[in-house]
Amino acid sequence: MRVPISWLREYVPFDLPLAELAERLSIASAEVEGIERRGVPDVDGNLGLFRVGRVLEAGKHPNADRLQLCQVDVGEGTPRQIVCGAWNFGPGATVAVALPGAVLPNGVKLAPTKLRGEESNGMILAEDEVELGADHSGIMVLADGVEPGTPLADVLPLVEDIVVVESTGNRPDLLSIYGLAREVSALCDVDLAPPPGRDPACTNEDRVDVRVDDFAGCPRYIGRLFRDVRLAASPPWLRTRLSDAGMRPISNVVDITNYVMLALGNPLHAFDLDTLAGGRIVVRRASSGERMRTLDGVDRELTPDDLMIADAERSVAIAGIMGGEATEIAEGTTNVLLEAANFEPYGIFRTSERLRLRTEGSNRWEKGVDPHLAPRAAALATELIAELAGARWTGDVDVHDDLPAQPVVRFRPRRADELIGVSTPPAQQRALLSRLGFDVDDERVTVPTWRSRDVTREVDIVEEIARFRLPDVPFTLPVRREMFGQLSADQRLRRRVEDVLVGLGFSEVYTPSLVETDGDAAALRLEEPISVELALLRTELLPSLIEAARRNLELGNSRIALFEIARVYQPSGGQLPVERVHVAAVTEGGYARAKGILDALGASLHGELAVAAVPNRLFHPSRAARGGAGIVGELHPTLLGDGPWGALELDLELLLESVHEPVVYQDVSTYPAVRQDLAFVVDADLPAGELFAAARDAGAPELREIRFLSDYRDPPIPPGKKSLAFSVAFQTDDRTLTDEDARTLRRRVIDALARRFGAELRG
Amino acid sequence: MKPEDSEAATVAAVDAAALQDEALAALGCAATPAEVGELRTRYLGRKSDLKQALRNVRDRDTGMTLNAVRERLEAAFAEREAELERAALDVALATDGFDVTLPGDELAVGTLHPVTQVRRIVEDAFLGLGYEVRDDREVETVEYNFDKLGFAPTHSSRSPRDTFFLDHDTVLRTETSPSQIHHLESRTPPVYMVSIGRVYRRDAITPTRFPIFHQFEGLAVDRGLTLADLKGTLLHVMRALFGPQRRVRFRTHFFPFTEPSMEPDVSCPICDGAGCRTCKHSGWIELGGSGMVDPVVFQNVGLDAEEWSGFAFGCGLERSAQLRHGISEIRPLWSPDLRVLRQF
Repeated sequence: MRVPISWLREYVPFDLPLAELAERLSIASAEVEGIERRGVPDVDGNLGLFRVGRVLEAGKHPNADRLQLCQVDVGEGTPRQIVCGAWNFGPGATVAVALPGAVLPNGVKLAPTKLRGEESNGMILAEDEVELGADHSGIMVLADGVEPGTPLADVLPLVEDIVVVESTGNRPDLLSIYGLAREVSALCDVDLAPPPGRDPACTNEDRVDVRVDDFAGCPRYIGRLFRDVRLAASPPWLRTRLSDAGMRPISNVVDITNYVMLALGNPLHAFDLDTLAGGRIVVRRASSGERMRTLDGVDRELTPDDLMIADAERSVAIAGIMGGEATEIAEGTTNVLLEAANFEPYGIFRTSERLRLRTEGSNRWEKGVDPHLAPRAAALATELIAELAGARWTGDVDVHDDLPAQPVVRFRPRRADELIGVSTPPAQQRALLSRLGFDVDDERVTVPTWRSRDVTREVDIVEEIARFRLPDVPFTLPVRREMFGQLSADQRLRRRVEDVLVGLGFSEVYTPSLVETDGDAAALRLEEPISVELALLRTELLPSLIEAARRNLELGNSRIALFEIARVYQPSGGQLPVERVHVAAVTEGGYARAKGILDALGASLHGELAVAAVPNRLFHPSRAARGGAGIVGELHPTLLGDGPWGALELDLELLLESVHEPVVYQDVSTYPAVRQDLAFVVDADLPAGELFAAARDAGAPELREIRFLSDYRDPPIPPGKKSLAFSVAFQTDDRTLTDEDARTLRRRVIDALARRFGAELRG
Repeated sequence: MKPEDSEAATVAAVDAAALQDEALAALGCAATPAEVGELRTRYLGRKSDLKQALRNVRDRDTGMTLNAVRERLEAAFAEREAELERAALDVALATDGFDVTLPGDELAVGTLHPVTQVRRIVEDAFLGLGYEVRDDREVETVEYNFDKLGFAPTHSSRSPRDTFFLDHDTVLRTETSPSQIHHLESRTPPVYMVSIGRVYRRDAITPTRFPIFHQFEGLAVDRGLTLADLKGTLLHVMRALFGPQRRVRFRTHFFPFTEPSMEPDVSCPICDGAGCRTCKHSGWIELGGSGMVDPVVFQNVGLDAEEWSGFAFGCGLERSAQLRHGISEIRPLWSPDLRVLRQF
């Protein structure tokens, strides 16, 4: 909300410097996002060069058809000759004049000049030239009765500070200047002016026909009739206030409804009475399939969920959200029906959601507006319509159900101290609460109607005290009696995996968990994604990492090795997917590199990560493997250029299962190991892992280590066969092995492999 | 014993002492292994006086004396030789023209993502305060993401414009706060817990916003906890993240699941509060939300708000990482570019 300070001061005459006020508001009430100054530079007497003037003569410029030549009294005795391009005034008009030497908001300094041969000693101002608004269709015509020569700043806010306030959803009362003034009154301990607006006399010549069918959606509807309305542009002060507050001036009646909304927080609507069938208002739900064209020219389809304002025949407004085009105030309007109603938040929220239509009105209603505000808003609007549009107020009705009672809340000042952690004397607590409109007696607080949704419990009163004490609350730490902090096993594992991979040269990358395509056709899909690229919840990390590697290739980066640890979301068939934490890595280098990374991870975790060949769509058809915790392999050569590439993706929880911790210490044997190299000719498709496992079994317990040496398939090895070479180490803990022992052990291994695989020992 | 024999032995003994002194003195002046070799020949060689004297020894005492001199000299020669060889080697090594400023072997070492680094700082800060660390599910029910946390039916976060829905009752969590409910439902107080993980908001992608980000969220429930305890805890964590000079202030705010609610600001780590572009010249940086646990949350998990009080707070990891490293946009944190990642 944009708050012009001169408007705020009208309700609360505070002295605090603006910057300090802004800080106090930010801390206790609503965040101040900025302070803007607009208007005429207030330096070196510049403001004094802007005066009220009276046009004495005005006529066509002798040498230019589009210019007027004027004699203007600016209180100097002799009038000034000024050339002006606007024609919306004539002799006798009261206007705003800038004298030569004046600096305009855009930085231009005026000087006496000659236009088409005629002297011009000043400038008659349009509102945009002094930043009082956006209009440049003519100059500002001021109300009569101000003496020529009067400083313009006395009549118009030539300089304005605007505080931009962002209030929170629980405080619809702060979506109004008066509501903010109430906060300022409590913050600065300054009295708040009574709320603006007093009803003039009503002639009561008209009956206002209002029927509310749905009090749940519309607890209150005040309807007021006005006749002989003179629709025109609003006076400069009103236009300026609206434009400073960020709204576009339209016409006096419409501007007044907006002005009242900004001043008090109750949105209003005005109908052209003569366009309402039967001159009647019915508040009801839309009928199924009903359509209506709103003010913005959009034809909208409605549902029975939507609350409508209707006349005798059709809907004329979507309640609280937007009026209809057919009944809007427009040129020729002379009779007006003013709506000062109250609407319940949830219905407005739902309709505004469904229609994707958010307005100044809906924004306030859906936060919950005080139903007791409607009469005040009606009074201020009525006063202004009578004054600015010369209208007669001819009819009035206030239709309402039982209005909610004011909450009465238990309150113990001691409780506030206990929760806040700093003591506030009860008298000070009471004083603060009364400034905010709360009625306080011994142990009970009556909540003002404009806060009755937000403050319903004792703790809410505590917050009212707390927000004014925030800077005084000390910094302490809880006095702990129980509990201690420790990472869980899986959290420690995650850190280990991260550290090991970083040590092995991998850089960690974060990629979006939402993807365009996924290997699992059942991957969960968002109802309304923001883009096709972020539409599915991924069930695997590798495609994202492959993409990340590709990006690095394109960028010309070298030594590419990336990993990520993140959740994947596997469809479960139930409401929620199964979420697992995965680690995935992609690196330059082929299968052996990927397997080496897996083995290094296994070694550092003291786990066993055996794998077997299992094809996977992302991998080279013969270089993909799966183990207990996940997959490892060489990426399919078509995926990334400049290959080969290795990759793995593991489930951290499954990885944790293969970790045996703490490690059980084994005494280091003091007797030397006997090492021997062995090579066997076996079928080419026998996995080395199986051969090694069998050898390990046969040589146990003396066989302590097997180290792979080579896989050889060229002649003289016959086709369909391969030679697998490895070295073994035999060792015992109780003696030195003799040559005879070693021969026996070696024989045991050779025989077992021959029996099981037909393996032939190579000479 | 013959007189000449005993005379010769006496002469030899006297000679031996002088001989030793002379040899050691000469050795002290030897500057190269070659010189040591020459002296060795002179004093210990086959034709040296000592060897000759030894050959002529007739009595036991003289023999022992001469042998002792021989051993002492041999040791001294060996030592001096080793000394000179080591010195020569050092000279040779020192003058081989090696350039120590040449780069070392290129060993691959990777980097942890800055958000992970922040995650660890936060985890460690809270572990130090005795908190448990939680990592909860990201796909949540509307019940846990909104209802049990006291979100009003009209709260704007419930709109599919602001939140990603999978179906009517299922969302991608919009904050880590559902962890509060999960935790309080599974434990009895006192509890001290911090939950860290990914959250989702349906924001358009801009230089400063991405619909996926990370948060940490702490929850403490105990007897007698106050807003002052919340302030102290956050000050501690902000200092762990942004340095020991940081100050923290609180602004009133609104969250459905805390009352009173506040937003913490930390004094700008870039300008130390003087005002700069990062803090929009305010000297303060907004860093999330906090407050005292709302009684409605206690009620929803079956705890008595008169007996227990608590506080909760949440803060973005990306934002913290940005501040720590001077990253003005969100983009680098989602970049796969190793030129970006290797900086951290």
